[in-house]
Amino acid sequence: MPFAPVLHAEWIKIRTLRSLLGALAGTFLATTAFSAAEAAAGDHTDPLYSVFFGVSLGQIAAIAFGVTAVSAEFRGGALRLTLSAVPDRRRWFAAKATAIALPSLAVGLLTGLVTLLVGKALLGTSGPTWTEGLRGTVGCGLQLTLMALFAAGLAAVLRSGVATLSVLIPFVLIVSFVVGDLSGGVADFLPDRAGQVALHSTWDGSLGPWSGLAVTGLWAAAALLAGGWSLHRTDA
Amino acid sequence: MTSIDVRDLSKEYGGRRAVDQLTFSVRSGRVTGFLGPNGAGKSTTMRLVLGLDRPTSGAATIGGQAYAALREPLSQVGALLDARAAHGSRSARDHLRALAASNRIPVRRVDAVLEETGLATVARRRVRTYSLGMRQRLGIAAALLGDPEVLLLDEPANGLDPEGIIWIRTLLRRLAGEGRTVLVSSHLMGETAAFADHLVILGKGRLLADTPVQEFIHARVRPLVRVRTTDTAALDDLLARHGLDASRDEDGTRTVRHARVDDLGRLMAEAGVPVLELAAQDATLEEAYLDLTAAETEFTALPQET
Repeated sequence: MPFAPVLHAEWIKIRTLRSLLGALAGTFLATTAFSAAEAAAGDHTDPLYSVFFGVSLGQIAAIAFGVTAVSAEFRGGALRLTLSAVPDRRRWFAAKATAIALPSLAVGLLTGLVTLLVGKALLGTSGPTWTEGLRGTVGCGLQLTLMALFAAGLAAVLRSGVATLSVLIPFVLIVSFVVGDLSGGVADFLPDRAGQVALHSTWDGSLGPWSGLAVTGLWAAAALLAGGWSLHRTDA
Repeated sequence: MTSIDVRDLSKEYGGRRAVDQLTFSVRSGRVTGFLGPNGAGKSTTMRLVLGLDRPTSGAATIGGQAYAALREPLSQVGALLDARAAHGSRSARDHLRALAASNRIPVRRVDAVLEETGLATVARRRVRTYSLGMRQRLGIAAALLGDPEVLLLDEPANGLDPEGIIWIRTLLRRLAGEGRTVLVSSHLMGETAAFADHLVILGKGRLLADTPVQEFIHARVRPLVRVRTTDTAALDDLLARHGLDASRDEDGTRTVRHARVDDLGRLMAEAGVPVLELAAQDATLEEAYLDLTAAETEFTALPQET
C-alpha cells in the first residue's frame, strides 16, 4: 500500500477534530504566555531560558496533542475500522506519527519564533544573542514535536488516552519541578528534560543542546517503536 | 466471483474457544445470514476474516487472499463492525472523507453513500448528535464507500426503526442481486429469514448449520395443526389412539404436533368427529432456530419461578 494516501487520511483526521486543533493552539499559547511572564519577571541569570521557560509547560499541551491523536483510535472500535482500511499496521502507525509530527513541528517552530521575539523585546540588552535565540527556536520546535511523538507512542502501548495522560502529566510536572532541581544527574536524561538543554544559555550537565535533543529523540523513537510493535502484535 | 472462505478457523481467548474449527464458505450473489446467540463467535469470526484478530489456527480468505494481503481493501471488501467507530466530534462527512482518502476513493463516493444511506442532509453534523439508527446508517455508508464486491455487516439492523429495517432488507437484496457477496450477522432468526437466502448458524463457536433458508424451514420447522370440534372428548380419544401429541387450549382448541391437515381431516371424518375448524399452522422459524441453538447457548437464563 502506498504511504501518501494513508498520510492524507491521518491528516484529515487531525484537522477535523477540534480537540486536536485546541491542543496545538494550547501548545502555542502556554509556551508563549509562560515564557513572556518569566521574561518579564524572572532574574535572567540564564537569558535564553528566561525567554524559553514556557516550553516546560507548553510541552504538556504537546503531549495532550500526541496522546489524543492516537487515543481517538482506541475508542468504540475506531481502530478496527481504520485497520480494515489500512491492514498494514506499521505503515498506518508511521503515517499517524508523521501526521502528528508535521503540525507539531510547524506549530513548535512558530511558537519558538514568537517566543523569541517577545522575549527579546521584553529583555532588551540582557536578552540572549540571536545565535542562541535561533538555537532556542529550533530546540523549542523539536522538543515540542518529540514530546508529542513520545506521548503518541506511549498511548499506542497503553491503548488509552486517560491512562497515558495520567502517567505523563504528573511525570513532566514532578520531574521538571522537583527532581529537575537536582540537575546534573539522571534527571537530565529524562525525555522532557534532555531536550530542554537546548533552551539554556549555559548548562552544567553532561549533555549539550543537540545531544540533549538527540536523547529526547531516542525516547520518542523507543516509544513509537514500542507502540508500533504493540499494534502489530495485539488483536485490534 | 468473490467468496469468503473460512477453513478450520479457531480462536482462543485465554483458553476459551470463541471460534472452534469453523469451516464454511460465503458465496456471491446471495445474502448469507450469519446467526447464533450472543457469544456464539459471529463477531470474532468477522474480525478474523478482516485480519483484525489473529487466528489460533486455520485461515480465512476473501477471493483466495488473506485480507491483510489486499491492496486498498475498501474497494474489495466493505465491513460494518461497530456503529460507534466514528468519532463523536467529527462530522459524518469528515469521517467518511478520511476513510476514503486512505484508499484513494474519490470524494464523490462519500457524497454518493451519504445520499444512499439517507444521511445527506445531516452529513455535516457531528456524529455525537446522531441516534443509534443514524450511526448504524453511517457504518453502512462506510462499508459501501469503496463499492466493494464483498460486504460483512455485523448486526446492521441494530437500532434501526421499522422504516430503516425495510430499507436495509431492500438494500441487502439489491446488493446480492448485483452479484455481490453479502454476509450479515444477527441473533434474530425472524429478522434474518426476511432477507437471507442462505444461513450459517453458530453455537459456542461451532458450526451448527450451513444451509439454504428454504431447506432449513423444511427440515426443522415442525408442522402444527389447529383443530376445534364440538366433541372434545371424541377428538382427544382419536388423537390418543393415533399417538398424536396435542396441547389443549382453554376454548377447547387442540394444537396437534407433527401432524398434517390432510391426515387429520381424514381421520376425523372416518371417526365421525365434527370439525369446526381445521388449519395448518407453521411453528415459527424462530422456534426451530431456538431448538437448534438451545444446547449451545452461552448465557441461558434460568427459568423464572412464578
